[in-house]
Amino acid sequence: MVGALLASGVLLVAAGWFVRRAERVPGRLQSLIELPIEWIAGIVRGTGGKRWAEFAALVIAVFLFVLVANLIGLLPGVGTVGLAHEGEHGEPTLVPLVRAAAADLNFTLGLAIIAFVAFVAWGIRANGVRGYLKELLIAEPAYMTPLLTPIHLISELSRVISLSMRLFGNIFAGEALLAVMIVLAPLLIPAAFLGFEVLVAFVQALVFALLTMTYITLAIAEHRQHESQDEHPGTEPERKEASPAPGSA
Amino acid sequence: MEFQLLAAGLAIGLGTIGPGIGIGIGFSKAMEAIGRNPDASGTIFVPYILGIALTEAMAIYALVIGLILIFAVG
Repeated sequence: MVGALLASGVLLVAAGWFVRRAERVPGRLQSLIELPIEWIAGIVRGTGGKRWAEFAALVIAVFLFVLVANLIGLLPGVGTVGLAHEGEHGEPTLVPLVRAAAADLNFTLGLAIIAFVAFVAWGIRANGVRGYLKELLIAEPAYMTPLLTPIHLISELSRVISLSMRLFGNIFAGEALLAVMIVLAPLLIPAAFLGFEVLVAFVQALVFALLTMTYITLAIAEHRQHESQDEHPGTEPERKEASPAPGSA
Repeated sequence: MEFQLLAAGLAIGLGTIGPGIGIGIGFSKAMEAIGRNPDASGTIFVPYILGIALTEAMAIYALVIGLILIFAVG
C-alpha cells in the first residue's frame, strides 16, 4: 500500500510540477515526460473508436499509475527498508515497507474494479440502461438465451479476475524470480533478470491500460453494431437522445 | 498438504503449456508480418499485445487455481 501511495505521490508531484513549468516549446525533461503520454494517447486515438477522447484520460492515468508503481517496486534497495516483526516461529523477520504495489492482490483488484465500473458505466452511457441490459441478458437468436446468458455474465465477471490476476501474477512472479535468482547466483545474473522485469513492468502496465480501453470500446460499440445489422429505424432516435444526456451531466 | 502442493504445481505447470504454445504462435506470426511489411510494425504492436494478454489469461486461471489450492483449501 505504501508503494501505491508513493506512486500516486510521485505522479501528483510530477503533475503539479508539470502544470507550473510546462512550456509551449518543450525542453528536454518535458519532452521526456510527454513522450509516454503522447505515445499511449496515439494508441488510444488509433484504436479507441470515435469516442476515444472521453476515456483517454482514464487509460493514460491507469498506464502511468501502474507503470510508476511497478518501477518503484523494482528500485534496488527499497525492499531492505522495513519494519521488524516476529515471524511465525518467533524468529525476527523483515516486512518491507515499500513493495511492488502490484504484488499485492488488493491493489490490482481495486484497479480492476475501477476498470469494471468504467466499462459498465460507458456501456450504459452509450446504450442506455435498457440497451445495456438487453445486450447483456438476451442473446441474438432468442432461443439461445438460457445457454448464452450465463456464459456472457461469467465472461463479463472473469474480466475483473483476469485483469487483476494478470498484473498480480506477473509482478509477484517477478519478485519471486528475482529473490530466487539472488539466492542462486548473487553476482551479475540477477541484473539481467532485473532488466527483464523492467520490460515486464512496462508491458504489464501497457496491457492493463490497453485492456481497459478495449473493454470500454467494446461496451460502447456492442449495441451499435447489432443495430446496424438489424436496421431498426424506430430505435435510432432513442439512442441518440440517450447518449448526449449523461455526457453533459 | 503435500498433495495440495503437488496439485498446485501440476495445475500451473500443465496450465502454462497451452498459453505457452499460443503465445509462441502469436509472436512468430507477428514477427512474420513485420518481416513482410516492416512499416506495419506500429499497427501490429497493439493487437499483438492484446492477443498475448488474452492468451495469457488462460495461464492466469491456472495460477488462480494453484493459489486457491495452496492458500484457500484446508
